[in-house]
Amino acid sequence: MAGRKKQPKSGGAPKTTPTASAQPAAPQPPSPTPPSGAEPGTPAGALGVPKRGTRAAKIYTSKPVPIDFAGPDHRYVRSDLEIYGIYHGGPSYEGRIFLNNPKADQTTARTRENGYAGSFYIFGHGGCLGDPGHCEVNEENREEYDFRPPHPLTPAKKKVTVTDTLREIARTNKTATITVVPIVTATNELCDDVDVFRFEKMRFVSYNP
Amino acid sequence: MANPLRIRLGVHNLDDAQIASFRNSYQQMMGIGDNRGYQYLAGLHGVPSWYCWHHQQNAHSAQQLQLFLPWHRAYLYNWEMAMRDRVPDVTLPWWDWTLRPPRQNGIPQIFGVAEFNGQPNPLTGFRINLPNTRPPLVHRTAREPGPPGELPTQSDVDDALARTDWNDFTEALEDIHDNVHGWVSGDMGVVGTAGFDPIFWSHHAMIDRLWWLWQARNGNGNISTDLLDEVLAPFNFRVRDVLSINDLGYDYAAAQSVVPIAGGAS
Repeated sequence: MAGRKKQPKSGGAPKTTPTASAQPAAPQPPSPTPPSGAEPGTPAGALGVPKRGTRAAKIYTSKPVPIDFAGPDHRYVRSDLEIYGIYHGGPSYEGRIFLNNPKADQTTARTRENGYAGSFYIFGHGGCLGDPGHCEVNEENREEYDFRPPHPLTPAKKKVTVTDTLREIARTNKTATITVVPIVTATNELCDDVDVFRFEKMRFVSYNP
Repeated sequence: MANPLRIRLGVHNLDDAQIASFRNSYQQMMGIGDNRGYQYLAGLHGVPSWYCWHHQQNAHSAQQLQLFLPWHRAYLYNWEMAMRDRVPDVTLPWWDWTLRPPRQNGIPQIFGVAEFNGQPNPLTGFRINLPNTRPPLVHRTAREPGPPGELPTQSDVDDALARTDWNDFTEALEDIHDNVHGWVSGDMGVVGTAGFDPIFWSHHAMIDRLWWLWQARNGNGNISTDLLDEVLAPFNFRVRDVLSINDLGYDYAAAQSVVPIAGGAS
């Protein structure tokens, strides 16, 4: 799809840990023929109905980050994991967050014992349905007097409240890894359904009573 | 005498006549090819017009442009007016996806049954006909819903409603909204085609209703004054114009039973 050069890199600065079955793959071009099961009269190359992902998307795991702020010596009522600069031009997905469980994958049960802390959801654009450049975000080069709305694919921010899981881990640990497991809920021929979760940065934020 | 407020009802509480009116309005809109019709209005969201606001678009400021809720309220207002142009007394019902069996199990039945009174049910899908997009978009919408137990719960909703900060609330509610789009999947699952699925509008009526419930507790909260004069293109509203649904002529209720005047005691 056009405009990929401006999008966040997969996994930001920390290391990315793909699962064995989830190697990055380039977006697939539209099918030159109507999708299977298409109605008569469907033009060649027409886009099919989005489907749930069938391949394991690439999993992100951070380096260990300090979580002393969440330990028993500190008073706080809520901790959020904030994620900035999320690319949302491709498929829709659930991002499952596991703390201190770098082996978590799409099959890992969402339990406190497994370090599951919560999920965020991305309502994806569904690939670029436009001419070349249509999905290219170029906000940095905007003219001073350009008052048009921001590009719809300006990267997203999400936050997930992770208080309870983080508090429990912080009782016995000074650091934690953050693992994000994407589950693709809707994708089409225009989307890269493996390298799904791309972002710029993330941080923990805690609030005192 | 002023007309009473339009009441948007829960999908699960519609009676047969209300369901028939709802279906009839969509059926008629689907038959109109100009700017009063289903394809034109649904196409304002994603393909081909791309007016919708999602994910707080603002590359330059920590103060995000939180237009997700106001923009969709303006959109639904115009949609409901187009419905009522076809069927005067119809209102847009809301889909409460927190309901669990036996009241509801996933996609409400009125959106799922193939036929209604021997005719194809217009609430099951819409044939998108946009042959000039790149690539062409010509197909009938479809869904691939997840397990009903994966839909947001009342607890998720309560958690969002408990957030008193405007930014905190709208982000939490948008995330729930995003979850439901992915849960329905198929065309509803991506921004580009979601508006063409007939269930889109009732999903967003639920979101709009939850904002209204939050407003009942918090007023307009600490919504940034910078937002109030933002224009909700292509509609002739600014954010401040859509803060009160009563000013827009509607309200939300679980059910409605109109009392006939004729036949009353003298």
